[in-house]
Amino acid sequence: MMSASSLSRWTMAYFAAALFFLISAQVLMASGYGFPTASIEAPETLVVVHMVTIGWLSLLMCGALFQFVPVLVAQPLRDSTLALPALLCLLAGLLCLLGGFLQTAGTIDLDIPFLAFGGLFLPSGFALVIWTIGRTLWSVPKSGLSLPARFVAVGLTCAAAAVALGASFAWVLSGHAPALAGTDVLAFGLPVHVAMGLGGWLGFTAIGVSYRLLPMFMLSPDREHGTGRFVLWAGASAWGFVLLARPFAVVSGSAALPTGFAGVLILVATVFFAFDLIFFYRHRRRGKIELNVKSAIGAFLVLYCSILLILILVAAGTFAEHVDAVVYIVGFGCLTGLGLSMLYKIVPFLTWLECYGPVMGRVQTPRVQDLVVESRDRVFFTLYYAGMLLGTGALLVGAPILFRVATAMTLLATMAIVAELVVARRLVNVGATLRLPEGASRPRLFLPHWHAR
Amino acid sequence: MTYEEDEALTSAARESLRLVIDPELGENVVDLGLIYRLSVSQGGTAHIEMTTTTRACPAADFLKDAVLSAVSQLPEIRDVHVRLTYEPPWVPDMMNADASRRLG
Repeated sequence: MMSASSLSRWTMAYFAAALFFLISAQVLMASGYGFPTASIEAPETLVVVHMVTIGWLSLLMCGALFQFVPVLVAQPLRDSTLALPALLCLLAGLLCLLGGFLQTAGTIDLDIPFLAFGGLFLPSGFALVIWTIGRTLWSVPKSGLSLPARFVAVGLTCAAAAVALGASFAWVLSGHAPALAGTDVLAFGLPVHVAMGLGGWLGFTAIGVSYRLLPMFMLSPDREHGTGRFVLWAGASAWGFVLLARPFAVVSGSAALPTGFAGVLILVATVFFAFDLIFFYRHRRRGKIELNVKSAIGAFLVLYCSILLILILVAAGTFAEHVDAVVYIVGFGCLTGLGLSMLYKIVPFLTWLECYGPVMGRVQTPRVQDLVVESRDRVFFTLYYAGMLLGTGALLVGAPILFRVATAMTLLATMAIVAELVVARRLVNVGATLRLPEGASRPRLFLPHWHAR
Repeated sequence: MTYEEDEALTSAARESLRLVIDPELGENVVDLGLIYRLSVSQGGTAHIEMTTTTRACPAADFLKDAVLSAVSQLPEIRDVHVRLTYEPPWVPDMMNADASRRLG
C-alpha cells in the first residue's frame, strides 16, 4: 500500500511567517501600540488584530493543514503546488491590509489603494488554501470522512464566510465598492466576521484537529462516535445560526433568537468536548505525556476559563464592556497557547523526518524528543500562560500599563520558544555523535530543499 | 539452510529492526508491535509485513525504507520484501511490556 502522505514542502515557511507576525504583534502591544492605548476600533488596533488573526493564527493553521489533512483522509494533498502561491497571496494581502490601516491612521501617506489590494490578495490566498484542502477532503467518499476531517470542512466553510465579509469591508472602506456605499456593512457584518473567523475557522478547526492529535500523542483510543459527532453537529449548527442572525434581524427586527441558539449550542459543544478531553486523558496508554500535550491541556483549561468568564460577564450584564478581555483570552490563551504547543511538537517532528528519516535503519538515530530540552522549555510555557492570564486580568480591571507588562512577559516566553524551535531545526540539542550521521543532511531553517521528497 | 539456521536468521533480522524507531514515540518498531510478520525463507529472502501507529503517517515511507535497509544489512539476507498494511490497524495493546513500561 502506498503511503498517502509525505512532507509538505512549504509548511515550515508558513510557520516561520506566522511566528514572525506573532512576535511583531506582541512587540507592538508591549510598546503600547493599539488597544488599550487606542480604542478597540482604531486602525492601530486593527493592525495588531489582523497581524494576530491572519498573520499568526491563519498562516499557522494553513501550514499545519497542508501537512496534516493528508493524514486525516489518507490521501495525498491535491494541487500541493498551490501552497506557495497561496502563501505569497496571503502575505501580500496581509501587508496591503496593514498598509491600508496605517493609511487610515495617517501613519503612511501614499496614494496606493492598499485596502482594495488587501481585499483582492487575501481572498485569493484563502481561496487557494480552501481549494487545495477542500479538494483533498472531497477526494474521499463522504461516508468515509473521519470526524476531524469533517471539523476541518466546517472550519473551511467558516473561513470562506469570514474572508468574504472581511474583503467586502476592505472594499467599502477603500471606497471601491460603490454598490455597498449606502449600507453600513461593518455594523451589519462585523460580529459575524469575528465569530466566523475566530470561532468557526480557527477555534473549530483546532478542536477538530485535536480529535486526532491528542489520541495520537497520548496513545488514547479514538473517539469517533457519540460525543465527538455531537460536538461537530452542535458546533456546525451554531455557526449556521451565526450566519443567519443578521438576515433574520433584517426580517424580524432582532437577532436575539438565532444568536441565543448559537450561544447555547456552542456552550453545549464545548461541554461535550470536555467529556472527550477527559476521556482521552483518562484512557491514555502513555503515562509520561510530553510538554506539548501538557501545554495543550493548559490551552484547553484556558478555553473553559474563557467560557466561564463569558457566562459571568453575560450574567453581570457587562459582556459588551469587557469583550476585549474575552477576545484576548480566546486569541492568546486558547488559540495561541494551543498553536505554540503544537509547533513545539510538529517542528522537531518534521525536522527529524527531514534529517534522520532517510538514514534510519542504516545508522543509529536520535529520538524526536532529543531535539528539544523539555525541562528548560517548561519554564517558557509557564511564563507564557502566566503573562496571558495577567494580561486578561489587566484588561478586565482596565490597567493598560499592567497589560503592557503582561504582554512583555508573553513576548519573552514566545521568543524563547521560537529560539528553541530554531535550535531544534539546527540540531543543537542532539549529542555530537548522533547529530549528523553519514547520509543525513542538515535541514534548512524554513525553506525547503529543492530535491526534498 | 536448516530450520535452526532459518530461526537464527529470523531472530537476527528482528534484532536489526530495533535500530528503526517510531519518531513520535521514540521506541523501536519491534517493541511497539509494528512488525506484524517477519519470515526468512530458504535462500535468504526476508518477507516483512508492518504497519505504522497512524494511517497515512508522514513517516510511513521512511519507516518502510528503514525496515528494508536494516534487514538488508545482514550479510545472509539476499532480498527483502516489505509490505505496509493497516489491517488490522495498530492499537497500543500491540506494544510489548518493555515499550509500555518505557512510555509510562
